[in-house]
Amino acid sequence: MLFHILITFFSNKTHFSFNLPLKKKKKLKFGKRLKQQIEETFPTWRDQFLCYKELKKLIKLISSALPMAAEPTKYGKAKAEFVYMLNNEINKFNVFFMEQEEDFIIGHKELQQRIKTVMDKWSSNGSRTEYNDEMAEIRNDIVDFHGEMVLLENYSNINFTGLAKILKKYDKRTGGLLRLPFIQKVLKQPFFTTDLVSKLVKECENIIDEVLFPIEEDKEETKEQKGAIMVATEPVKGIFRNTVVALLTMEEIRRVSSTKDHFSLPPLNLPHSHLIHSFQLNSPIPIL
Amino acid sequence: MPSSFLALTSFKDKYSTSPSSFQVSSGREVMENSVSLQESSLAPSNGTLGNSSLSPSIVTDHMCASALPHVQHSHNPAFISQSSRDLASLLPLDASFSQSTASLIHTQGNKDVSWSLDRLQMFLDLPENTPAPNQLVESSTSVLASEDHNKKTNWQEWADDLINVVDPDWSKILDNTNVLNPRVELPKPSGDISKQQPQFHQNQLVPHGEFSSHAYPSSTAPPTKPRMRWTPELHEAFLEAVNQLGGSERATPKGILKLMNVEGLTIYHVKSHLQKYRTARYMPETSEGTSEKRITSIEEMKSIDLKTSIGITEALRLQVEVQKQLHEQLEIQRNLQLRIEEQGRYLQMMFEKQKKVEDEKGGAPSSASDDLLAPLPGSKHPPCNNGKSDSEALEQDHSRTGIGPGNAGTNEDKSSSGVSTKQKMPETESTVHDESGFSVSKRARTEK
Repeated sequence: MLFHILITFFSNKTHFSFNLPLKKKKKLKFGKRLKQQIEETFPTWRDQFLCYKELKKLIKLISSALPMAAEPTKYGKAKAEFVYMLNNEINKFNVFFMEQEEDFIIGHKELQQRIKTVMDKWSSNGSRTEYNDEMAEIRNDIVDFHGEMVLLENYSNINFTGLAKILKKYDKRTGGLLRLPFIQKVLKQPFFTTDLVSKLVKECENIIDEVLFPIEEDKEETKEQKGAIMVATEPVKGIFRNTVVALLTMEEIRRVSSTKDHFSLPPLNLPHSHLIHSFQLNSPIPIL
Repeated sequence: MPSSFLALTSFKDKYSTSPSSFQVSSGREVMENSVSLQESSLAPSNGTLGNSSLSPSIVTDHMCASALPHVQHSHNPAFISQSSRDLASLLPLDASFSQSTASLIHTQGNKDVSWSLDRLQMFLDLPENTPAPNQLVESSTSVLASEDHNKKTNWQEWADDLINVVDPDWSKILDNTNVLNPRVELPKPSGDISKQQPQFHQNQLVPHGEFSSHAYPSSTAPPTKPRMRWTPELHEAFLEAVNQLGGSERATPKGILKLMNVEGLTIYHVKSHLQKYRTARYMPETSEGTSEKRITSIEEMKSIDLKTSIGITEALRLQVEVQKQLHEQLEIQRNLQLRIEEQGRYLQMMFEKQKKVEDEKGGAPSSASDDLLAPLPGSKHPPCNNGKSDSEALEQDHSRTGIGPGNAGTNEDKSSSGVSTKQKMPETESTVHDESGFSVSKRARTEK
């Protein structure tokens, strides 16, 4: 009975809480998207993102004050300063990323250990309920762990995207040729070489799929409601919410833009995208 | 809990070897001040592992911010001789700033960036933004006073470090391919700084080495924090050593270091890793042990009536599904980005080759460019004024080549429609003469 009430409540809300139909929403700029993402992210992560706005300001400064041809030495110094700032940002990403990565390596091993321990202890002889309880805890932790790693991947990617955009802006506004060589270096940076984290994520998924959850397909509608409930009731800045935000942000960023070139990514093709969009309908805090 | 880091030795190396750089030896003192102040001020931070990363970033940004004015101060003769009359007018300002910058403490990278912005504004002789720096100074002088005593001892220790620093082995550093190998490349003997850990990072130095040899006139190397990148294999070795020594509580860093016997690994790496390990073990509710992240704990979920209506397991399942999706999309996106950049680099190479040929032949006969374009792999695409199909072809190529394991479902739409031929040189003809790079043509793209 309660559930029915909830459903009608939520579906009624749908009508009124939406400001714009999604399809007609204009594409916001990357800067705004990044800002949103930063606002939504874990508090400890907030300072670790790209200072996109500031770098944009710097470009504006440089381009308005120094046409390249006019004063080459000054331009050269300004360019160096810009590069210096970029390097600082990259350094920031690297340090943060590697720190998190180290934690994940340790955590991954620990989870495996815990599972093994619980299985050894209870699966043969022990009480079923204790096994279930401990497994439930592990299940919860491993899902969150998986989520955090994925969010770190997202962190890596969004910062890379930001760097690429900033470099493009720089070249465009100052007529420089900074982007190509610089981005080649960025590609090799630790924060962007996410192979290890990716591997850990996949291993986690295997554990989750095989050991912890029986696979069961939910109907779309029930998923919608569950997702809505989760977003609405989750403590602020939770992992689930963050993940949804990240997906939606990615989709938005990759919408067709006016400055498309062959360095731009194609629009995102999200399976179940309407499902994910639906999660934000009933959130007390609008996601996007 | 958070272990603090020092960027110093390699950072200093960088600056001492680049003569025309902004950052110069006189700037070091300022930076050292900043660093030591940072470390003391970071003591009261939360006991979260996530926070430990704040210190290096703060230090980095900080060093960036505080380095500049000081350097400008010392570089004044050079500036004047370059007849930048504008800059000469800035000298008095710089002099006063050089003192105050030593006390700057930022807690956000953003502030530092805007600080640098202010500096650059002055440098460019734009309307000055003096109030901001002063405000920052005022807010931090109190901290400066209390941290003063730390300065001297730290300088001494850092000076010792300098003497002991081993030259980085550049050939080793530049070979940064294998993720799985222990990334312990630079031996970094440290002084008796217990809280501070010299960290080095192999990959970090690669670009900086490359940067300084590149076209950029000034040093492009930021304060590097040489950091070690752990791998699962290394961690396994660590665990083995710990277990041999009787567990995480009984094992000592020194013992672990000895047992592990990994070249280049220092006791400070082991120490910080051990710390993390202990935290992870004894907070079994979450693998990370950070309070922020204990958000979807079972207790909290149980306390919310709504959630029990959907069941914890189902909530978890949904969460996993969404997370999996994000991961998948990120993988695809990353692969796309790699491909795109690879193509860009390839195009650039072609462009340069073509230019070279043109220069040699002294005025480009079109046959030269045709020769270059002809032997390219992939089928030729008829030159089209409508850029749409080009970009689509490129990106569909990307989509397909970017498909890794498990991506099969999502990219079908893209691959099935549109041009199927590989296209490597969509834009060379039109963009060859564009000095600003390749991002010239704007294309319309149909929505799918």
